[in-house]
Amino acid sequence: MNQFVFKSTAKTFLISFMILGILCMGLTWLSDDALHTRFWTNLLHNSVFFTGISLMATFFIAVCITSYAGWHTQFKRVWEAFGSFIYVGLGLMLFIGIATYFHMNHLYHWTDEADVATDAVLSGKAGFLNKNWYLFGTIIIGGTWAFFYNRLRALSKAEDEDGAGVNFSMHRKMRVYAAIFLPIVGFTSAAMIWLWIMSLDAHWYSTMFAWYSAASWFVTMIALTILILLYLKGNGYYDNVSQEHIHDIGKFLFAFSIFWTYLWFSQFMLIWYANIGEETIYFRERYDKYPVLFFGNLIINFLIPFFVLLRNDTKRKFGSVGFVAGVVVIGHWLDFFLMIKPGALHTAHTALGNGDHGHTEGAHEAAHGVADAAAHGASEFVSGFTLPGFLELGTFLGFLALFIFVTFNSLSKASLVPKNDPYLGESLHHHV
Amino acid sequence: MAHKNMHVVYGLYDDEVIMMDAVKQANKEHLDIMDVYSPFPVHGLDPLLGLEESRLHIAGFIFGAMGTLTAFLGMTWIFTKDWPIIFGGKPYWSVPAFIPITFELTVLFAAIGMVVTFYTICGLGPGVTNPYLDDRITDDKFCIAFDKSNVDVSAVESFFASTGASEVNQKTI
Repeated sequence: MNQFVFKSTAKTFLISFMILGILCMGLTWLSDDALHTRFWTNLLHNSVFFTGISLMATFFIAVCITSYAGWHTQFKRVWEAFGSFIYVGLGLMLFIGIATYFHMNHLYHWTDEADVATDAVLSGKAGFLNKNWYLFGTIIIGGTWAFFYNRLRALSKAEDEDGAGVNFSMHRKMRVYAAIFLPIVGFTSAAMIWLWIMSLDAHWYSTMFAWYSAASWFVTMIALTILILLYLKGNGYYDNVSQEHIHDIGKFLFAFSIFWTYLWFSQFMLIWYANIGEETIYFRERYDKYPVLFFGNLIINFLIPFFVLLRNDTKRKFGSVGFVAGVVVIGHWLDFFLMIKPGALHTAHTALGNGDHGHTEGAHEAAHGVADAAAHGASEFVSGFTLPGFLELGTFLGFLALFIFVTFNSLSKASLVPKNDPYLGESLHHHV
Repeated sequence: MAHKNMHVVYGLYDDEVIMMDAVKQANKEHLDIMDVYSPFPVHGLDPLLGLEESRLHIAGFIFGAMGTLTAFLGMTWIFTKDWPIIFGGKPYWSVPAFIPITFELTVLFAAIGMVVTFYTICGLGPGVTNPYLDDRITDDKFCIAFDKSNVDVSAVESFFASTGASEVNQKTI
């Protein structure tokens, strides 16, 4: 079977989870504080998470083309399908960007012009952290990503049609696009991570954060690839994707989990050692108020993949590699949760008048929810912030269903195994 | 080759594909192959010869774990008991500062331990001369070797002739 059929039962299943997600977001909105911080952070969290996964899929296709890799060719359509989420993801980010531009939310401290004027750090960063960069950066940079994805995908599909024989013209063009895309994605992904995620802690300085988040995206992308391939193999597709291929993706999962840990630790240790206030604020907050997630993050995303996948045969067995892939997807979702929620919660406190030097506006409206609960004590549990609640979980499932829906939809649009890719033979005979 | 004074009959092949087919044929005829020599690793040869997976990486894990413990416990003892010094206002027992050195010693112990283990098992080392069958198996020939005490020589010779060996020789090593 070389043509994926997106069955209506699968569609119904995924759509019902999307409806669950929308319901959860609606409930979040209704039970929220005056600024709807929980709703906006959940939306931002999931949009950034899945947009990043689709970007990393396109990035990895470009890496494979540029490095003349052939082992993945059989199932490169899965990555192309992940990449197609970039359109949806950028739509979501655009929505958040517009809402930030017109100040319909208050996720970012730097959107508060009165504060920026009196704050030396924020006014120093204002050349980059401002609503224009946020909205138009998202449009221009995100548009660039979508353009390169579109080109690579179109050429890959065109190769199926007219790439027979020794017509490598499409592949040569893809090579050019991929080579141009790589440096672009290297710099622009960092810029978008600074704007979308890191600027939630607007006062914080770290030079390693962009790498660290991008590694988190990459590991999740690899883990989702394993899960989707195992699902497709279970349904009778991809007969020629063997243990050998799963072994190699398992190596990527193992290696990049360690890479992620390396970046996590390097960022932590440099900040811990230098002990500069502008830098330690990020870890102080998480260490004191989010200890379960802070240490759980390392256990789920480092210790489990490291010790389970250390052996050769656990990378080859579908059960163990699938288990780790599932754990790691949840783990990195929690990782992004921990990147996003504390900063946004702090900003909300300040804006709602419960912070150290807050404003008066909105202070009396905060009768319930986030700001109120946190006002009683710094380390008090705040549902949906200290730990993900059921509403966060439902929202995540909704977004995951949307991501898989887009993936399957894209998979059904082209043959599963590319027909005329010059590296196809290498992939079919791949042996570790 | 740990054994001494072994009488070996071996055939040389020009191509690894022909050699692989010959190994399959030998398995079919129940000829007991002593060993196969090739200038480079040939994919799929290990399962044909019934070789078990190497246990070297288990040794590597144990050496690595020893390195981890040596570094971590060593630094803990030095910086808390033996010679406590305050660095940059940090506590004596500064776990994050120990991690890089712990990592380095883990890698060092695993690497050196595996090299020593490998050399010991293979009987390699400085000053050791190892017997070899033919110079060209390190260059461009693929060799299938039989122990003469295990097989019928005439059966082996007809096997080499039928599978396309370019040369058949005998040697005592």
